[in-house]
Amino acid sequence: MSDVPLRSRFRLGVRLGGARARHVVLAIRVIAGGGIAIFALSTPGFTSPLSINSLLNAISFIGCVAVGMTFITITGNIMSLALGATVSASALVFLASLSLGVFPAFLVAILFGVVITAVQGALVGYIRANPLLVSIAALSLLIGGAAIATGGQRIYPGGEGLQVFKGRVAGIPVEALYFFGTVIIGQFVLSWTRIGREMIMVGSNLRAAIAAGVNTARAITVAYVLAGACSAVSGVLLAARYGSGDMELGTGYDYTAIAAVLVGGTAIGGGSGSVVRTLVGVTVIAIIATVLLLRGFSQQWQYLITGLIVLAVIMLHTIGERR
Amino acid sequence: MPILAVQGVTKRFGPNEVLKNVSVALDAQEIRAICGENGAGKSTLVKIITGVHSADAGVVSVDGQPIEVRDPQHAQELGIALVAQELSLAPALSVLDNIWLGNREVPLFHRRKEFRDRARAALEKVGLGDLPLETPVSQLSIGRRQLVELARMLTRNARVFILDEPTATLSDVEIERIFSALRALKAEGKTVIYITHRLGEVFQICDSVTVLRNGELVGTRRTDEIDRAHLMEMMLGRSLGEMYPRWESKPGEPMLVVKNLAVPPVVQNFDLTAQRGMVICLAGQVGSGAIEVLRALAGLVHDATGDVSVAGQAMPLRSVAAAQAAKVQFISEDRAGEGVFLRLRVGENLVAPRLADHSRFGVLARRGLRASAAKLAEAVGVDRARLRSQADELSGGNQQKLAFGRSLGGDQPGVLLMNEPTRGVDVGARAEIYRLIRQFCDRGYCLVMASSDIEEVLGTSDIIVSMYRGRQIATYRRGEADVQRVLADITHPVAAA
Repeated sequence: MSDVPLRSRFRLGVRLGGARARHVVLAIRVIAGGGIAIFALSTPGFTSPLSINSLLNAISFIGCVAVGMTFITITGNIMSLALGATVSASALVFLASLSLGVFPAFLVAILFGVVITAVQGALVGYIRANPLLVSIAALSLLIGGAAIATGGQRIYPGGEGLQVFKGRVAGIPVEALYFFGTVIIGQFVLSWTRIGREMIMVGSNLRAAIAAGVNTARAITVAYVLAGACSAVSGVLLAARYGSGDMELGTGYDYTAIAAVLVGGTAIGGGSGSVVRTLVGVTVIAIIATVLLLRGFSQQWQYLITGLIVLAVIMLHTIGERR
Repeated sequence: MPILAVQGVTKRFGPNEVLKNVSVALDAQEIRAICGENGAGKSTLVKIITGVHSADAGVVSVDGQPIEVRDPQHAQELGIALVAQELSLAPALSVLDNIWLGNREVPLFHRRKEFRDRARAALEKVGLGDLPLETPVSQLSIGRRQLVELARMLTRNARVFILDEPTATLSDVEIERIFSALRALKAEGKTVIYITHRLGEVFQICDSVTVLRNGELVGTRRTDEIDRAHLMEMMLGRSLGEMYPRWESKPGEPMLVVKNLAVPPVVQNFDLTAQRGMVICLAGQVGSGAIEVLRALAGLVHDATGDVSVAGQAMPLRSVAAAQAAKVQFISEDRAGEGVFLRLRVGENLVAPRLADHSRFGVLARRGLRASAAKLAEAVGVDRARLRSQADELSGGNQQKLAFGRSLGGDQPGVLLMNEPTRGVDVGARAEIYRLIRQFCDRGYCLVMASSDIEEVLGTSDIIVSMYRGRQIATYRRGEADVQRVLADITHPVAAA
């Protein structure tokens, strides 16, 4: 029988082995990171104190929400569309209760954020409601509720002493310190506590977690509670910075937060990821936004480019996951 | 002249050579088994024959003509039909529609008499002559769906049928149906390639067997020339000793007592007393309720009722936490979906139910967890170097060992419930699982297993309870039962219990 040369064919799509795919993804990350760094450092004014300062601020406000979002994503509940509204609403609550004193007002705002998301978490965890639909309902309730409560007016605080939440310590913006604190606590919960490990198990495989005896509803509820607390921290920081608040304050934060979570490399399906990764994701997105701003691109361009980055990241992940 | 032959086929994926210079020739009227452990290259070989992959070297020939199989479509045109594990039927459509679905010779209106007749003829050949053509596929059992799939391939003039582990999820009755369909195909002059993990089936249905190991051809033998032990030796490259361990039954005190268990809608009035140091097997096919009983005892069935006690203490049903508190552990029949966290690390899997024991005030003692994982890995024979690997990098057998390891934690032996413990596990690892089961016995565990593999039931159990449609048919002590009696019980029981 004669030897017939078998045609080696080009196939559409990427076919990579698991380990190799991971290396490729890692390489792309390193190259992308390097590219962004060069892009940033070559931008005039990027390293100026003013720009670094505003970068840190941007990272802090969004970052707290993104840390909160990480918990929701990691438990396999994709994202919440209501976290931006939770930021705004807890800012309003903080400002409205400032007459009690700054610290009590802070606690009231956190408690408010926690209650709002705990209810959502319980719905998702205990009766398996669809997380996206629950968050859409919560968004609507928050916006409506806030409009009725405030009569649609901006709120200006009556109290004093907002310095605790703004200004600088040792040259670092206070906001950034609160954010880094949130990251450290968040990462600690995720990798050093039982409930954190249970969240990862629930996100990795819900049925297996049930069979392993994990209290899955509790794990999901706690993830939402943490998301609410983190969002409220962001709300308080924003309220303190601007000295006033309305429901526009946190608009779009949920979208940027999920973008940061994904760019950081937390799996959209849940079960793997970390808060530190989200920190990286937030930083990358904020650097790109700052650079675009410094180079004179409009807000619209920033949205467009953030959108492209998220798309690219999702494609990268899909290739990396493929076996 | 062989109908289908591959000669000197080699295939690489990156640096891995998954097939090395493999040659196989198939004749008409032949049922050929292809055997080998996981990773031996069976699937890759099939994918080359069906045009999914192209070989890096070597020739595929049909009717003696060297041919380049371009893609699965082309393979079908050549008369090579793959009956896939994941069925490609559309559940909402009728049997008739499915048979003609995607067939290019069919006109728009395929319900005409000619096409109905041809579909009917094909169904008769696979033993489904009495099946109404309008039945929606969703109403058929998995076994019948496979038969419909075979009929569909017949209408496309397939000459070579490739079945990839067709019986993995089937009951014995359905397996028998598939077998008679395959015998009918053979009588028609067709060729069948039959990939299986179950060695019993090789001798039951196949004329010859080709064994692959690590991508290399070990050899092809007629099934009447060799025996089981020989076949296993070919697959493993060494002699296995025996598949099933030898042991002495050492009944301990009663551990698990079940009275009046009901698992709607299948099981009613189920009673069982299980002792320490014994393996009790509920033998039954899909639908017998054996699997459901163990799921209910594990706390996973929300409407189960009954009186259950473990070591004299009443155990509430319908709660996994309550079952675990009573030291009842469960190994699922659905390893990927429920048994193992595929995307977590091996170590994290092993300690998954033990987090409470290794944490104070909710904070994990990570060093303790690592030590515990290492100990469990050693106990069940998983390489400690793999503790940090992701669980989905392990073979099916090693994943199953993780499930056993998870159940082993804790200081006191309890009850271990196992549903189909060796499903999808290859021969070598299977023997290790059986040894593990005996080790759990020796440690004083009380084991209850549900299985539809009669050989396994007979080879591992101290007590066998046969089940049929939710009823307990008979109870045998070790040595009292044989294949025929258990098979009769679980397929068409004579004496109603």
